[in-house]
Amino acid sequence: MKLLSNNLFHQLVSRAIRTDYLENLTGFAWLILQPLMLLAVYAFVFTTIFKARIPDAAGVSYVPYLAVAFWPWTAFSESILRSANAISANAALIGKVAFPGELLPLSTVTATFVMHMAGYLAVLLVLQLMGTDIHWLGLLGAIPVLLFMFIFASGLALLTSALQVFVRDVAQILPPLMTFWFFTTPILYSSSLLPDKWASVIKLNPMTWYVERLRDFLLLGNYHWSISDLLVPSFSILVFWASLVFFRRCSGHFEDFL
Amino acid sequence: MRPLVRLQGISKFYPRVHRPGERLRAFAALMAGREPQDGVEVLHDISLEVSAGQSFGIIGENGAGKSTLLKVLTGVITPSKGSVEVNARVAALLELGAGFQPEFSGIDNIKMKASLLGMSSKQLDRRMDDILAFADIGEYVYEPVKHYSSGMVVRLGFAVVAASDPELLITDEVLAVGDESFQKKCIRWIESFLAKGNTLLMVSHSMYLVQKLCTKALWVHQGRARELGDVFPVTQAYLAYHEEKNALEKQQRHAHDGGSGLYCVRKFTFLGHSGNEDPVIRHGEDLEAELILSSPDGRPPVALFGVMRADGTPVYGVASDFDGITPERIDDRLFRFRIRFKSLQLLAGSYSIRGHAMDPEGMRLCDSSEHRFTVSGQSREMGFIHLPHQWNGGD
Repeated sequence: MKLLSNNLFHQLVSRAIRTDYLENLTGFAWLILQPLMLLAVYAFVFTTIFKARIPDAAGVSYVPYLAVAFWPWTAFSESILRSANAISANAALIGKVAFPGELLPLSTVTATFVMHMAGYLAVLLVLQLMGTDIHWLGLLGAIPVLLFMFIFASGLALLTSALQVFVRDVAQILPPLMTFWFFTTPILYSSSLLPDKWASVIKLNPMTWYVERLRDFLLLGNYHWSISDLLVPSFSILVFWASLVFFRRCSGHFEDFL
Repeated sequence: MRPLVRLQGISKFYPRVHRPGERLRAFAALMAGREPQDGVEVLHDISLEVSAGQSFGIIGENGAGKSTLLKVLTGVITPSKGSVEVNARVAALLELGAGFQPEFSGIDNIKMKASLLGMSSKQLDRRMDDILAFADIGEYVYEPVKHYSSGMVVRLGFAVVAASDPELLITDEVLAVGDESFQKKCIRWIESFLAKGNTLLMVSHSMYLVQKLCTKALWVHQGRARELGDVFPVTQAYLAYHEEKNALEKQQRHAHDGGSGLYCVRKFTFLGHSGNEDPVIRHGEDLEAELILSSPDGRPPVALFGVMRADGTPVYGVASDFDGITPERIDDRLFRFRIRFKSLQLLAGSYSIRGHAMDPEGMRLCDSSEHRFTVSGQSREMGFIHLPHQWNGGD
């Protein structure tokens, strides 16, 4: 990958990390606090009020079950929401300097993933200390899964950031869309709780595979293989490739619309 | 010589994208590969070939499409029609501080700008001292760029561009911001850059700079290439166009206010040279001019004469009140001034002389008129004026 050796890409990522997370103390604290607070609220609502149970997960309590899926989702959704404006926010740069524009959304996604993955690792450690049995060997499976999720997020970020230049509504439509996606992904619940009809529908959502695989690897120690292990990563790569082609086709015309 | 840059039939059409509907339609047209329905054509069928080692000035009025042309050249925008071919390591300085993040320090922005120009971090480490020395803004490099003056921003930008070792430098009227000594430094740098066989493409409104740095020029007028060729004929045609435009505007202004309420130039002529041709004066001859001014309130106005070289460099100026001259009164409102420059010491070349009408206090310039003249001569002296001198010593 030429990207990893690209100095401009390094600069953009470190700039994104600094402005978004490290510039002020609250930014950094917020990074951990915000998902932690949401996690606490969801845990309270679902364990105390709704008395949610997880039938298929013997011995795993609700909070780790939720946390393992929730952090990667946060990275995924936040990276897309953040990078939707990556092009329009850098209009001055796009119109004056010739450089590969795709580096802007890609660096935003990378910065978001780097920061949230650090948080994810911390959460896993905390869960272990609180007595949850984390399958550390499962990281060998979880890391490729997260990598494919990163590729998927990068593809969607390229698509939305390019679309946002032409259709200004994208930034408005995206947050409710991500909320909808959040609830149609088995993060707060387990897909095994759904009636069969809906369980097969929800399997069409690629994010279902991601969160379930992470739980399989890290919590349940379930390393069985299925056809989805081939389909979803391939689909993610396809989305990335198609979005990159779309982005490059548009990028010469960004300036006309900014 | 291999062409470094080749533009063929470049047109650029900006779609109208103000309302959401227009944006969608333009976007749909773009996706379908069609021409957008309505919009503004900024460039029309421009072709240009630049060989290695040439220096090209791009001139034209505001809004003529010069900057758009540079953007097409650098690949920032895609032309609607035509092809762009650039075979060189390009460094472009299209706007001062493009790519600078105001919140970050100068050092951080140097790193960013350098990476935008394709420098690796190792290369930057080696050249950092050169950049800081060239920019010469001292401890300010550790301050956020938002506290910089525009001159400091351009210093930083140019310093990084200079360090990036380009083969083709593209600049868009950025030098105008720097102070005198920095401008000189940049010009010296560009001259040595050109002497090494590199190539320059610059947009400027300063004909002086264009003539100094460029060998070729392109005059862009309303999105079209109006003239293309050697720098002197093109810039002179461009200046002549402006003269005409100004004269036309002045006529209209005169017609508008009927010449009243202001001190006006009524007549400005050379004495002893009849006809409409620009007079030719031999070096050492006298030059005599007559200026008739009108005064709306009957008070005698002040006349100001200025002599300048064809490129606008001032040579000499003198006003009637400097010398305590009172004009000859022709009638209630008309006054005649005559001036004789004895044994004219200007060297051969093209010059112009302006006669200005000023208010009686000599404070406000109210009206002007200009004539060109040519000085002929055989002397090999350099410059534009003969300084009386004598050589001392020796046998």
